[in-house]
Amino acid sequence: MGPFLRFATLRAGLALVTLLLVSLIVFSLMELVPGNCAERYLAYKNTQGENISFEDIAAEEARLGLDQPFLIRWGTWTANAFQGDFGTSCILRVDIAQLLGDKFLISALICFAALFMAYLIAIPVGIYAASSRNPVINNALRLVSYLGLALPNFLLALMIMLFFTVYYGDTMTGLFSREFRDAEWSWARVQDFLGRAWLPVFILGWSATAFALQTVRALMLDENDKLYVTAARARGLYGSRLRWRYPARHALGPIVNSLGFDLNRIFNELPIVAVILTLTEAGALLLEALARSNDQQLAGAIIFLLTATIVGLNFVTDLALALLDPRMRNSVLGARA
Amino acid sequence: MTDSTVATSVADREARRKEAYFTASQSQLIWARFRKNRSAMIAGIVLAVMILLGLFADFVGPYNPTIAGRDADYTNGAPQIPRFCDDDGCSLRPFIYGTKRERSIATNFRWVTTQDTDDKRYVQFFVHGDSYRFLGFNADLHLFGVDKGYIHLFGTDDAGKDIFSRTLHAIRTSLAVGTIGVVISFVMALAIGGVAGYFGVRIDGVIQMITDAVRVVPAIPLFMALAAFVPDTWSAETRFFFISIILGLIGWPTLARRVRTHILVERNQDYVLAARLSGARPGHIIRRHLLPSFTSYIIVDLVISFPYMVLSETALSFIGLGLKDPVNSLGVMLQNTTGADVLLNYQWYFIPVIFFVTLVMAFVFVGDGLRDAADPYASSRK
Repeated sequence: MGPFLRFATLRAGLALVTLLLVSLIVFSLMELVPGNCAERYLAYKNTQGENISFEDIAAEEARLGLDQPFLIRWGTWTANAFQGDFGTSCILRVDIAQLLGDKFLISALICFAALFMAYLIAIPVGIYAASSRNPVINNALRLVSYLGLALPNFLLALMIMLFFTVYYGDTMTGLFSREFRDAEWSWARVQDFLGRAWLPVFILGWSATAFALQTVRALMLDENDKLYVTAARARGLYGSRLRWRYPARHALGPIVNSLGFDLNRIFNELPIVAVILTLTEAGALLLEALARSNDQQLAGAIIFLLTATIVGLNFVTDLALALLDPRMRNSVLGARA
Repeated sequence: MTDSTVATSVADREARRKEAYFTASQSQLIWARFRKNRSAMIAGIVLAVMILLGLFADFVGPYNPTIAGRDADYTNGAPQIPRFCDDDGCSLRPFIYGTKRERSIATNFRWVTTQDTDDKRYVQFFVHGDSYRFLGFNADLHLFGVDKGYIHLFGTDDAGKDIFSRTLHAIRTSLAVGTIGVVISFVMALAIGGVAGYFGVRIDGVIQMITDAVRVVPAIPLFMALAAFVPDTWSAETRFFFISIILGLIGWPTLARRVRTHILVERNQDYVLAARLSGARPGHIIRRHLLPSFTSYIIVDLVISFPYMVLSETALSFIGLGLKDPVNSLGVMLQNTTGADVLLNYQWYFIPVIFFVTLVMAFVFVGDGLRDAADPYASSRK
């Protein structure tokens, strides 16, 4: 087995272990919520005038498999989750996979678009800023980076919405305009979606860009002073040719490595942006599941899916890095240290 | 003659400066470097002012921030800015105009608040007003007030609560939540990261795996899942502590990782080996050599992680899963700005947002300044 394949298998194994641990955390959380599905179902019957007893609850628990030990239930849940089956939500009484469906895909798409936008801006600007000694540019970038952290994204969203309401009479809320909300997928619906999706992408990408800028600039600053850069300069290289061929290539590794955590950060902001823009996607569903109905199955499924996406991205970036940089393959465990 | 005395005094001063430099303690060195960083110093002063404002919110804020201190006659009122001059001339003591609410055929039968330029209210300092408890004492002294009626520097909200007083109390609450959260996550990080770093290899591997698993779960959705356990029946105080504890319980992985890295690096240093060769026991080495070697870094890490705690609290409260309205926290104040009415008619609801942004920025600047100051190689890199 070549070193790359060995690296890939090991990484895949590690990702799987991480996912298992995450599923344990998520499942324990779901279990901690007071009341289980059996009680919920029967509580509903109770409101319909039926008398229920402890035996009824026990029977219902046996029917749903809730009387099994914790570890077995966790195992079943995880095994099903890996196949994309998250059971039914016992509050909404619909299949969760069906409920989430393309909503989760749309959320993930928006988040990835935001991530893409962040690095599309941050890499060239950050690389340029690191080599520029211009204090005005550097201070302006620092301020923008800090503002990305401190200026709440919902404020940004509110401002943009206000602007659109006043000047165009359309609040830009939601992912679809009214006539396409429940329509089948069609070319017109895609166009409508694209015409609106840029706003959440922009708002999510705004703080991600600020963070990415800081990362890229700091990494480039570190690399710029290294001896190999001086050596390249001594051989007569200069300007963007020097920048892109030497320090930028070395800084690329850690940048690719940080993608996973940037996606994590974007997922963090998803619920807030969803509230403001009244998006009907996974972030809003999660909020709905938690804040209003205490729907632990749905919440668990969403958190698990979000985390699985991040773990998946981490795995892909690790492989990409190993392809780009042979040194990474040898330091199997140290790649992320 | 004079030249040589000047020269000796310069050399003398140089020697004394060097002497001071070589004998300075770690904290003195950090302070000396921090002081040179102008933006960090300004941010530090701003931060100190904010913390003081939060601590003495009862005294600086003229009214009780809860419903008890409301001004029933001035709901959703605009900010009242003290002035010195008007058409009648000037006065040394600043004053504001009183307001009149009126509903008649002239106003289309809606309540309309108008300024009453004849009703001048003069600002006074150190007035007695709403009582509060401070350090176990009952007090009712406030920094300022007006001789009659109310003064609302930042306006009032829909219940007539003074937004200025609310903002000050919100700063205090958010700082308190952040402090408790940081302390909890710090203790956990020190224990978990310390064990991982000191014992290394296998234990380290297992702990790292768990830490990575916790770290990879997006924090805010996880916060939301945990915060959803809070029953609606809990009192504001219980809720407050629960939220702080959750913030602490989830915030530890990043800190634990840093503690571990510090210990991993430090325990292989020559001075630790030297201490071990001199016969020092592990406990002695950890306490007298390892911990002091990175306390400054840990403090810096704590300052840096503070704004994230405040941000998380804000995010949670903003969604409506954190603190709720009777409590004044920055997140609650931010949530109040989201109504469409606010954007178009009551823009002064946004004043707390300025405080929020300032607070977070101040923390970030101070944290960055401290990090640069604590890193002896930072200046050579620039």
